[in-house]
Amino acid sequence: MISLRDLQLGFSQDVFSGGGTGFDARIKANGLSGERRLQIYRNNTFASLTDALQKTYPVIYQLVGDGFFRYAAARYLGQYPSTSGDLHDFGGTFPAFLRTFEPAAELVYLADLADLEYACEQVFYAADHAPLDPLAMSEVPAARYGDLTFTLHPASRLLASAYPILHIWQVNQENYNGDPGVDLREGGVKLLVLRPHLEVEIQPLSAGEFALLHALADSRDFTTACEQALDAQPDFDVAAGFRRHVLQGTLISFAF
Amino acid sequence: MLSKPTRSGLGPGPIPACAGIGLRAVHFQDVLATRPMLGWLEVHPENYFGAGGKPLHYLEQIRALYPLSLHGVGLSMGSTDPLNSAHLDKLKELIRRFEPALISEHVSWGSVGGRYHNDLLPLPYTEEALDHMVQRVSQVQDYLGRQILIENVSSYLQYTVSAIPEWEFVAELAKRAGCGLLLDVNNIYVNACNHGFEAEIFLAAVPRDLVQEIHLAGFTVNNLGDGEILIDTHSRPVCTAVWALYRQAVQRFGATPTLIEWDADLPPLETLLDEARRADAILEERHDLVA
Repeated sequence: MISLRDLQLGFSQDVFSGGGTGFDARIKANGLSGERRLQIYRNNTFASLTDALQKTYPVIYQLVGDGFFRYAAARYLGQYPSTSGDLHDFGGTFPAFLRTFEPAAELVYLADLADLEYACEQVFYAADHAPLDPLAMSEVPAARYGDLTFTLHPASRLLASAYPILHIWQVNQENYNGDPGVDLREGGVKLLVLRPHLEVEIQPLSAGEFALLHALADSRDFTTACEQALDAQPDFDVAAGFRRHVLQGTLISFAF
Repeated sequence: MLSKPTRSGLGPGPIPACAGIGLRAVHFQDVLATRPMLGWLEVHPENYFGAGGKPLHYLEQIRALYPLSLHGVGLSMGSTDPLNSAHLDKLKELIRRFEPALISEHVSWGSVGGRYHNDLLPLPYTEEALDHMVQRVSQVQDYLGRQILIENVSSYLQYTVSAIPEWEFVAELAKRAGCGLLLDVNNIYVNACNHGFEAEIFLAAVPRDLVQEIHLAGFTVNNLGDGEILIDTHSRPVCTAVWALYRQAVQRFGATPTLIEWDADLPPLETLLDEARRADAILEERHDLVA
């Protein structure tokens, strides 16, 4: 008699390979054939995982359409199976998959847009945190400011793209009523995805702001971060940019 | 003697013997704003495995108002892979934080070789699978430090190796593992139609004292040309035949906490409340009978 282990391996193999493994011989026909019955489980598995992927990547879905999305999802599942019963762990490799997915090669911005959607998903579920206490900052002697390092909010992500992905994202939102056209020559964007409390915000950043936060996220000290910000954007108002990210909670704590 | 179900509806505590609904994110704000008269609420713990944000924020508020049950769908109880300890840890943390009155999972498996189907797959009903499930349920109960309920699932196939009727498998599992049963009356009906048995036989085979919760849901009928099959989609109202079977279940098992489950094509909250009221009316018939 087949062991429980071998039965599960055989079932799973049949479902993910699309059938033809001979596993249907282990199913009672009883009206419908074993093959027809297994097909129901193939449909359920692919439909539920595709649905999970669609919930994380609604703009990608909107852009490529139902048929193409299902095709891409099926290919994705073959390469990157779900490895957890917690769907928060599923779909993070979809942007990387899209980067090498030949049928989507003409949509050059697609993988970057997927990065943005995944950042929003991660930020939505990330840990809560209170903003930095400005009073605590005021107790630091001015001479030591340069040595400070900062921690970014757990519900924050920085990303940069050579394409206008925020504009593409915006025109594909359900409640968007404006001109749906986007000219790729608008060029790239630098973005901060942040959830200060409950709502996820996507904020375009100047080159200086982005360099400042990026350096701080990399554990550079404040002096180095300011230098990198000014290298990226010579006219950047460091004091104003820094203040904004303390007040809105992008930066949550500091250390010497 | 059974007591009347508590109909106050508001306030956390044990799950009363009346109707509740499966709460999904789209109804968070409606429930909090209107605070409907409902015995209790049930959620999938996996939806709250994130570290923060809206899901946990709303669940905190919901928990202050209603008794709560956690109904797991992703533990892959019957898999021959080792139990997923990260999943169990997240579940345990959620239990610590929200102190649910009931915790349940399924008589099924959903992964093997580390690959997950995101589905509730049927086990073969064999002595080996029974021993395995008894051991797994015991392991989970030991780890969580409390009893869980396990639910019978819908299925669309039977394995040639299955030698034990599903109802015997489920009842024996509960007896041997010391867990409770979450009887899904819709799943019994779906399986009775799909596999050709009398649903009443299932009810009669389940010992009265094991059932601590009942689920009700709607299915869809798939016509496959050479035959039709009922799919447990949780996307429709409870059908007439399932209401009738539910009435029989209540006669047999007494007034039992009963959940309306709806997971796809979600209707307005009011539709779920109507279904819950219908279940409450059947539970009250039973109370009147006893009184």
